[in-house]
Amino acid sequence: MTKIIETEGLTKVYPPSFRAVDRISFYVEKGEIFGFLGPNGAGKTTTIRMLTTLASISDGRCTVAGFDPRTDTDQVRRRIGLVPQDAAADGDLTGRENLLLSAKLYRVPDDVAKEKANELLELVGLSESAGKLARTYSGGMRKRLELISGLINEPEILFLDEPTLGLDIQTRKAMWDYIREVNKERKMTIFLTTHYLEEADSLCDRVAIIDHGQIKVSGSPAELESKLGGNALEIQVPEGPDLTKALASMSGVSEVSRSGSSYTLRISNNGPSVQAVFSGLSSLGVKVVDTRLTKASLDEVFLNVTGRPLRDDPVNPESAFVSHARARGR
Amino acid sequence: MISETWQLVVRDLKKWYRTPAWMVASLVQPVLWLALFGNAFNLANMFPGGDAAKAALQTDFGGAPNYITFLTGGMLCFLVVTGSMWAGGPLVMDRSLGYLDKLLATPISRTAVTLSLLISNVVKGLILTVILLVVAYALPGGLVVGASFGALDLIGIFATLVLLSVGFLWLFMVVAVRASKFETLAAIGSTLGLPLLFASSALLPVATMPGWLRAIADVNPISKAAEAIRYLLIQGSLNSSAVTAVTGDIVYLGAFAAVCTAIGVYASKHGLRME
Repeated sequence: MTKIIETEGLTKVYPPSFRAVDRISFYVEKGEIFGFLGPNGAGKTTTIRMLTTLASISDGRCTVAGFDPRTDTDQVRRRIGLVPQDAAADGDLTGRENLLLSAKLYRVPDDVAKEKANELLELVGLSESAGKLARTYSGGMRKRLELISGLINEPEILFLDEPTLGLDIQTRKAMWDYIREVNKERKMTIFLTTHYLEEADSLCDRVAIIDHGQIKVSGSPAELESKLGGNALEIQVPEGPDLTKALASMSGVSEVSRSGSSYTLRISNNGPSVQAVFSGLSSLGVKVVDTRLTKASLDEVFLNVTGRPLRDDPVNPESAFVSHARARGR
Repeated sequence: MISETWQLVVRDLKKWYRTPAWMVASLVQPVLWLALFGNAFNLANMFPGGDAAKAALQTDFGGAPNYITFLTGGMLCFLVVTGSMWAGGPLVMDRSLGYLDKLLATPISRTAVTLSLLISNVVKGLILTVILLVVAYALPGGLVVGASFGALDLIGIFATLVLLSVGFLWLFMVVAVRASKFETLAAIGSTLGLPLLFASSALLPVATMPGWLRAIADVNPISKAAEAIRYLLIQGSLNSSAVTAVTGDIVYLGAFAAVCTAIGVYASKHGLRME
């Protein structure tokens, strides 16, 4: 496998001393979908900005498509496509015009650009709306247009900053399909950021959880879940003595909580641990009345590595100020 | 560089004509000034006196037969200068909307981003110039051009306005290159607009001004442009004597445009670099 992005100790310091990104090291393999998962303000966008030559690098080193964004700026720019978080399409231009403008900025020859634009519009189901101004598009259509406008120059790496931000769940799932298709059909490496757990889980081959500018952990979602999330096994037993201690000593069990005669166990992996628990219990002469196995999710992984749930986004001070000002009728 | 710049020029012009309110808004003020101010200042009635006094007055006003004729040159300058104040608007909007990130992540020259706005605004300025000239001419008691006014004079007027607007466009672009809010442009534009206009010969001849104001008006590029345009409109015929009369002004404006271009290009290269 080729590493198409590689960083070592990548750091961004905003004066006087705010470390937006703090010594992160990671790699992205060619052809995979790699995701940065973290809350707002974790340093996701800043990392993208450094990798895409928009922000200077305070410390550390990185290569993107084989080039250093600091010194080989143009080489990097030629090989990447960026879809920023907000308006990556111009509302005053039609869908097709947006694509053709992007193509021209990358010096794609006219005839190639036209053909490519039609093909991409077709891919995301926008052929019929291609002649309409982008400002008349729905949120989902707009995101799709923005996705393909990052593809017009056939980049080696596509950077997507929060590709489904603000979309409803149905539209989001459709968007995931498009992103998967782009990745599979075009063998395109995709680097994306998200603060949606489901998105990271269902879309990414590998994920890095980032918080306060640092990577807490990285790996494939399944790997992280089994290592750090742990599955939960609930068992119901007849009234009897407290089994907490006995259960906790069984192999593969990391945590036990009791509520009456039902116990919730955290187990590291499914098959062997469940087996061990059942045979352990039967050797103690305890009959299991009922069981339920809950698969681990990235939720728990996030909670375990950062110490807080991802759902409670810290309030962005600026938006808090705006809503405060609005409430006061300013 | 040229091809990308042109693509961005086309983008800005499309945005402009697809929002006709912008075009109307930029014309409302100068047209109202011409129609109201131009008519209210009836020179002959305001300064009654003998023919000698009127003749002296007309000399001060560059030989203009009426005030609207005098004012037209000033209003054309006003039109392109106020236009240049807002020229950076799309850049500021692109920055706050996020589109600028997309632009700057492409391998285009940083200068293409500002240069394209500059060119599209020169084009807009020339279109508005034509409309304003027609309006001034059509107004009752309006613009009276010299008997020998011709195509060459019109080209001279365009050239003068291009130089003036290039200068101010680059100057105001320096602000837009770093500004993250549209309000910054609005504040600077509304603060500088009228003082720049009044401290020039756009509205009144410098001869009637107090010494201190005249000192400012004399170096104000708007004065040079207004005077050159006025000369071409009233005297007409870009023959050898006319060329001599306006050469000084044009050279002055050329130098102004060149200095501002140097500042603006420097600011684009350094202001739009990595943060």
